Amino acid sequence: MTAATGATVIATRGLTKTYGRVHAVDGIDLDVRPGDVYGFLGANGSGKTTTVRMLLGLVLPTRGEVHVLGQRMPRAGRRVLPRVGALIEGPAFYGHLSGRENLSLLDASGPGGVRRTRRSRVDTVLEQVGLAGVGRRPVRAYSLGMRQRLGLAGALLRRPELLVLDEPTNGLDPQGIAEMRALLLDLHRDGTTVFLSSHLLAEVEQMATRVGVLDRGRLVLQEQLSVLTAPTGATVVTTPQPERVTATLDGRVRAVDGQRVVVRGDDPAEVNARLVAAGVPVTGLALERPTLEEVVLAAAGTSTDRVEAP
Amino acid sequence: MIAVELRKLFRRPRTWATIGVLNALPIVVAVLLAVTDLAPRPGQGPAFLSAVLTNGALFPLAALGIVLPLFLPIAVAVVAGDSVAGEAQAGTLRYLLARPAGRTRLLVGKLVAVLVFVLVTVLIVAAVGFLLGTTLFQAQPLAGTSVSGTTLTAGQLAGRTALAIGYVVVSMCGVAAFALFFSTLTDSPLGATLGALAVLIASSLLLTLDAAAPIAPYLPTRYWLAFVDLFRDPILWRDVSRGLGLQGVYVGVLLAASWANFATKDVKS
Amino acid sequence: MWPGGDPDGFRTVVRMAQGSGAARRWALVTGLVAVLVALPVVIGAWPAPDADRSAAELRAAALSSTDVDFSGYAESAGGLALPATDQLGSVADLFSSRTRMRVWWRGPADNRVDVLTPAGETDVHQDTDGRWTWDFEADRAVRDVSAGGLALPAAGDLLPTTLARRLLSEARPAELSRAGADRVAGRDALALRVVPADAAASVARVDVWVDAGSGLPLQVQVWGKGAGRPAVDTRFLDVALGDPGAAVTAFAPPADARVRAGSGDDVLDEAGRRLSSVSFPGTLAGLPRRTVAGAPPAVGLYGRGVTLLAVVPLPYGVAVDLSRAAAADPDAVRDQLGVRLTAGPLGILLAGDSGVPAYLLTGTVTTDALAQAARALPGLAAA
Repeated sequence: MTAATGATVIATRGLTKTYGRVHAVDGIDLDVRPGDVYGFLGANGSGKTTTVRMLLGLVLPTRGEVHVLGQRMPRAGRRVLPRVGALIEGPAFYGHLSGRENLSLLDASGPGGVRRTRRSRVDTVLEQVGLAGVGRRPVRAYSLGMRQRLGLAGALLRRPELLVLDEPTNGLDPQGIAEMRALLLDLHRDGTTVFLSSHLLAEVEQMATRVGVLDRGRLVLQEQLSVLTAPTGATVVTTPQPERVTATLDGRVRAVDGQRVVVRGDDPAEVNARLVAAGVPVTGLALERPTLEEVVLAAAGTSTDRVEAP
Repeated sequence: MIAVELRKLFRRPRTWATIGVLNALPIVVAVLLAVTDLAPRPGQGPAFLSAVLTNGALFPLAALGIVLPLFLPIAVAVVAGDSVAGEAQAGTLRYLLARPAGRTRLLVGKLVAVLVFVLVTVLIVAAVGFLLGTTLFQAQPLAGTSVSGTTLTAGQLAGRTALAIGYVVVSMCGVAAFALFFSTLTDSPLGATLGALAVLIASSLLLTLDAAAPIAPYLPTRYWLAFVDLFRDPILWRDVSRGLGLQGVYVGVLLAASWANFATKDVKS
Repeated sequence: MWPGGDPDGFRTVVRMAQGSGAARRWALVTGLVAVLVALPVVIGAWPAPDADRSAAELRAAALSSTDVDFSGYAESAGGLALPATDQLGSVADLFSSRTRMRVWWRGPADNRVDVLTPAGETDVHQDTDGRWTWDFEADRAVRDVSAGGLALPAAGDLLPTTLARRLLSEARPAELSRAGADRVAGRDALALRVVPADAAASVARVDVWVDAGSGLPLQVQVWGKGAGRPAVDTRFLDVALGDPGAAVTAFAPPADARVRAGSGDDVLDEAGRRLSSVSFPGTLAGLPRRTVAGAPPAVGLYGRGVTLLAVVPLPYGVAVDLSRAAAADPDAVRDQLGVRLTAGPLGILLAGDSGVPAYLLTGTVTTDALAQAARALPGLAAA
């Protein structure tokens, strides 16, 4: 392959999956770089899960190529996948066995799980996800949140270079979500690349460095989060007297929304000086930045759950 | 992989429940036989059962004869049908494959685990049968009579019993392979089990039809009862060797078909 | 079917092989199955070499092969559905179902024939003084010292060797012809055909396959007139020439078995005792009367070779039993002569009026011949 794929963690080219005549995933070119927390956004049914499964070699592409950690998937799965940790569509375990036993079995099921260190690695990841004291209870008796934590523990078992997480905060309470976020940011700081597939914008916005948006099987957006939410060149003024702002800054006002007035110009100090000089009370002043939600809604269409009349 | 599959199978309460149920029928038969002292009439009932009243050491074989036609294949079909489809239904299949467990290795590991299950089950049935036979009936553990009326030493009897146990295990290979193949086709363990049982019932039915005589030598259940031939003197190897070959062909073909289907199957469960 | 030479099918497979991985693997598996299915067909269709041996030579070889030592496995399939009576149940089974046999042969006075059942076996060990019969499921050994002669058919009589020799022994040269060659039990076998010349015969033909090397008859098929499949088909599936060893044919009853002395053939002995003597005509239905050593004098035997007729005057009890069995048979035909049954080439006539028959006529003769014979019997001529 070309040198470009060597520098990327996940690279797909024209990745397509069709079921019959339905294009579940339609020619997407993912580009995830080392050190990214990649937020893979999309509504339910937009093809996120199919894409994640193709990355891991569970579903085979109809067309296109997948490279993970610089190697062709699914051909190099035996070499690549031990370096990848995954949480796919919710955790799954053998209910009659304990969490520890489940992790140990999973570790023994494939290459790269060194038997000598298995016990200590299992203990470490259980501690990491906050299940150190769970004991010998069978997984059958776990709560949804505990299972989610155990699933993440399974993904972390071999210190992966890449974490592929599909909806990892499902079933977690707000505290659990915060813990999970802290853990992922920790891992990220230690050099783990995280591919985070989610339909929760807020979750992605808080963690991601890079975002891809999937809409009905097409990748409609892929950019650094900092670029997407970069200042638009306008200033937002908050004032109890918006009509006086319009009068003062003749022609520069782009929009008025209650007490919020959007003014062209990327120098809040200059705007402030002019308003204060005119005696307009200013209670708030900031550069305008688009929210991720606005960006996504602008890029993607309606929800795929909607079924319009023909 | 095989060790992992064995751990999964034998740490499972259901596995031991199956083995327990399997042993229940010979136990009931032995107790009834000992209480009533009524042996089946010659030519009727399972193999060796009528001989048990005179020599309890033959009860392991009678027990095998009791479970072989129905109970044992059902147990095998349940366990083998669950092997891949059960993992798919529980969702663990995607984690195994993303681990990566290797699809072909997984199939072979599953098949071997099922066969070990059969071996363990048959050994337990034989051991329980031996205990029952020697406690409930008059036993002559030092010698036995072959089907042909010659005398077998205790060593010969033990050796042939071991051969019979091995043959019964091999006889179940075909069922296991069918259930495993169906298990790769569907995400429903029940569907895979029923599919394998449908094949067995069809095979047993066809064997009773004269019109099906041309295909009879190729039916998976055709040589199941040939383990009796191991107790003729001299041993009649004809059906035993054909049975072994036939099971080998079924395992080969069905494992190949399972592999053909499963190696690039989209795992969406 | 691929690879039977269908070029389109083959092209499809090649195209699939060039396609995706799954298709390639399925093509591989399909090919494997096709080879496995084709293998037995090809082996079965492989032509057997014929040899330039006359029918008379083959018959002589088959009749003189009693001294050839061998061991083997044979199966016979009978197509005759005989009415089952209390005394003759095992005989009826013999001609109506599939019988599996093992044989070890060291000569007419030293051999062993096992009849296998799914869960046991019945073995007959013949030695110079008599024979042992071992029944595993009954745990019983019976010693017979009868001198031979007439006996009810037993499984051993269905061995291809025994049956072929019996059927060939009285065949006339004009009735014999050659019928190609085939492979039986993996050996080259030359086929010999007997077409009975008697007008009364109900057997259309008898085919006997004789081992080209040793003269052992390997397969026998008996075809009734107008039948779509043989009435009797018995063949070896495995044959090994050579002395099987005295240890195999010898028999010593196991310590815990019930051992008893045989009382000969119960049914025939009883028949001899209870039957009233009848003066039989010299010929019946064109078949000459014959004598057979050991047969009760009250039974009239007629015919030759594969065309045989037996006439038995019935005691009252047996007559009631037989007529009840016959009446239960949906295929039975009743007319003024009595009740008539056919089972393949075997005809049975219970002759006599008023419900209880006076004679049993049975044999491999046509129903017309049976009727003709019945009319010639003393006491029935009026009917």
